[in-house]
Amino acid sequence: MFYENLRSSLIRVAVASAVAFSGLVTVANAEPVRGGTLKTFTSGYRTLNPAVQSGAATGAPGSQIFAGLIQVEDNYEIQPYLAKSWEISSDQLSVTFHLVSGAKFHDGQPITSEDVAFSLEAVKANHPFGAAMFGNVESVETPDPETAVFRMSKPVPGLLLSLEPLLMPILPKHVYGDGQELKTHPRNSENVVGSGPFKVEENNPAERLTLVRNDDFFIPDRPYLDKITFAVVKDPLTRVLMMEKGDLDYAAFSGIRPNDATRLEKVTGLTVTTEGYGALGYVHYLEMNLRNKPFSDHKVREALARAIDTGFLAKVIFGGRTEPGTGPLHTGNPFYTADVTRHEPDLDTAAALLDEAGYPLGADGTRFGFTLDVPSWAPAAHGPMAEYIQATLAKLGIKVELRKAPDFGTWVKRISSFDYEATMNGSFNYPDPVIGVHRHFDCENIRNVIWANTEGYCNKDVDAMLSAAATETDLEKRKGLYADIQKTVAEDLVFIYMPQDFSATVYRDDVGNPPSTPFGALAPWTDVYLKTQ
Amino acid sequence: MAFPGLLRAAIVRRACNVLLLLLAVLVLNFSLIHLAPGDPVEALVGEMGGATPELIAQLRVQYGLDQPFIVQLMVYLGNVVQGDLGVSTYYNRPVTALVLERIGPTLLLVTSSLFSAIVLGTLLGVFSAQRRRSPLSHLVTVLSLAGFSAPVFWLGIMLILMFSVAIPILPISGMSSGDSSQGIWLYCLDVGQHLVLPALTLALIYLAFYSRLSRTSMIDVLDADYVRTARAKGLSQRQVIYKHALRNAILPVVTFAGLQFGQVLSGAVLVETVFAWPGLGTLAYESILRRDAPTLLGILFFSAMIVIAMNVFTDIVYRLVDPRIKAR
Repeated sequence: MFYENLRSSLIRVAVASAVAFSGLVTVANAEPVRGGTLKTFTSGYRTLNPAVQSGAATGAPGSQIFAGLIQVEDNYEIQPYLAKSWEISSDQLSVTFHLVSGAKFHDGQPITSEDVAFSLEAVKANHPFGAAMFGNVESVETPDPETAVFRMSKPVPGLLLSLEPLLMPILPKHVYGDGQELKTHPRNSENVVGSGPFKVEENNPAERLTLVRNDDFFIPDRPYLDKITFAVVKDPLTRVLMMEKGDLDYAAFSGIRPNDATRLEKVTGLTVTTEGYGALGYVHYLEMNLRNKPFSDHKVREALARAIDTGFLAKVIFGGRTEPGTGPLHTGNPFYTADVTRHEPDLDTAAALLDEAGYPLGADGTRFGFTLDVPSWAPAAHGPMAEYIQATLAKLGIKVELRKAPDFGTWVKRISSFDYEATMNGSFNYPDPVIGVHRHFDCENIRNVIWANTEGYCNKDVDAMLSAAATETDLEKRKGLYADIQKTVAEDLVFIYMPQDFSATVYRDDVGNPPSTPFGALAPWTDVYLKTQ
Repeated sequence: MAFPGLLRAAIVRRACNVLLLLLAVLVLNFSLIHLAPGDPVEALVGEMGGATPELIAQLRVQYGLDQPFIVQLMVYLGNVVQGDLGVSTYYNRPVTALVLERIGPTLLLVTSSLFSAIVLGTLLGVFSAQRRRSPLSHLVTVLSLAGFSAPVFWLGIMLILMFSVAIPILPISGMSSGDSSQGIWLYCLDVGQHLVLPALTLALIYLAFYSRLSRTSMIDVLDADYVRTARAKGLSQRQVIYKHALRNAILPVVTFAGLQFGQVLSGAVLVETVFAWPGLGTLAYESILRRDAPTLLGILFFSAMIVIAMNVFTDIVYRLVDPRIKAR
């Protein structure tokens, strides 16, 4: 009986798939064509409003639903988006944006400068990086509905980059300006009204998010796609199988490991790329609590830096697909410099340094011990890194005890209350160092907040350089300041940088114009199309 | 006859037990969550990518976390009595709506897998009880033990590799293919296709229980006098097995199924994760990680009610299967 049920259901399945396939008409196109559904995935999101939530889970759909004033193209070139043009005053203290005429929100209401002013205030007050990005923007004036004037107390060199939809989505004031708390506003996930190329058709955070083409989008003939479906798939292995089978057209932030990449690269019709992550710059590092012994001693930190062979780690953990980090900036960041002090791996020097620091080898063969916290959010990277550190430091007589966090909250609590000795950690640069880099080194940012300056580093010289770099409008001078910051921080061994993360996107070759700009999947997918319809 | 009075007393006693049990579930779980290190605001702030201390303080006030433990507990219990399970700290949506959305898929998965495990397991057990020492009987034992011992995620991935990648007849993940234009029947067929692999994975694990259980119980019964009598009367083998023996042998299976429902519910977590099944299991697991106490408590509350309902249901089935049991 059961067998017959099974057999008949298998036959039904077979028939259904045959019917589904016969519906396809294959037409290959070289020119971008309109239509089609792009199938992608999400690992799950809390809200669809990027103004109250950073990160890729909200950012990827959020940047389709909401437009921004500008777009960032290759080489960080800034292009008009909702702002068709802008003028920067000679003192760099005001920028006048002219909005595209006739742009409308998804509910048909016009997008005006009032909405721009509202969005800026909203982001400044609610986005985790709001104060870092727009703290020096004092007000937005709205002389007429199509003109918005940003007034700054000090120059903000990273201003334009921060106006990308991911970081400053244009929100409808008539929806979010109703006096309700924005962070917990019901319209962040229900009946979302945006300004971008795609509208929300169905939002079921348990199963699927479906976006449909915004036919009234302010850029004519865009977007190309009719629909985007984000299937909620949390298990990375399931995703790999879906990619292999072709169930996903496009998978950014795929979470695949380097050996999965090797496997998927062999599948005909699939491409694996690491492009499209430049603006994020994911950096891994070993964070030591600098307040207490032994890590308050520079010699001890140097000994660790000399014991840990990050080149070896890059080869073993990431299959040689990433580079060892050298400092707080990702090698892909425009302000990156390779010209910093590096500590070549050398166990003998490391041992000598520890002797000097007053940690001689004891009778039991150990010098000292410490607990290394391992967070739960990047197990594929942090697990092996921590185990390697444990093994290699054992050779020096340092006994490392690994404390793997059962969940995110436990780890956050320990680190943000400074109740730890050392931890594996990592963070995003974001395109302008003011957003993702300053937070780790600024003396004033020593706060009980995760990814603030939790290690307790305070160097007045670095502080002065950070303040100068935050408002320096001359690009070359600014690069010089960041080069000096990187040098000093590497010299001081604030963190020991690990290999950079392996972030990969997998897509079917049928996908035209896969997002590959610095913001990648977190930029609008207006030009993405499907070659076969 | 004192029957109706007795029955009423039994019902009242049962209802009191249920209420006490639910209260215990809530209080115990609330305390346990409170004891765990970290709070929802820390998890939330980490997820947001950091926040200012003012924002953190403001969120704590908003979720009532600035109150002493006993006040928080009393406020929560008071709300539950009024039918309000609170608002998820993570999704910022009412817990009742969130749970009701996910409870359907989980019940579908759990009942279909449990049902197929029971039916298939019992048949296999009956089969091998009749041919105790045949190679086929041993094969059933080996297979069911292998299914029971295999880790769920491994089994799930292997089934996907087999039936979705190598022989692509079934979808890999999700509950539906999201084609909104299809009608209700096609939608049911679609869900059915998506259900096969996750339900099979979960069923294979519990198959072992039922085949072993029914085999043992069947062997006992087959040696009983009345079976011999039935045979002596000249009844066919089929009638002896299915009418006389199985009806007596199935009692332990029913008992076990009722008890196991809660277990299967928890076993669904991994299956739901592997197959991206939009159910309660993944929500529960993630709520723990997010310290989303209201959601977690809501899920536990609903699960407790389901398990209790299942137990009552088992009792009813018992009475149907075995006329000797009367309301006591």
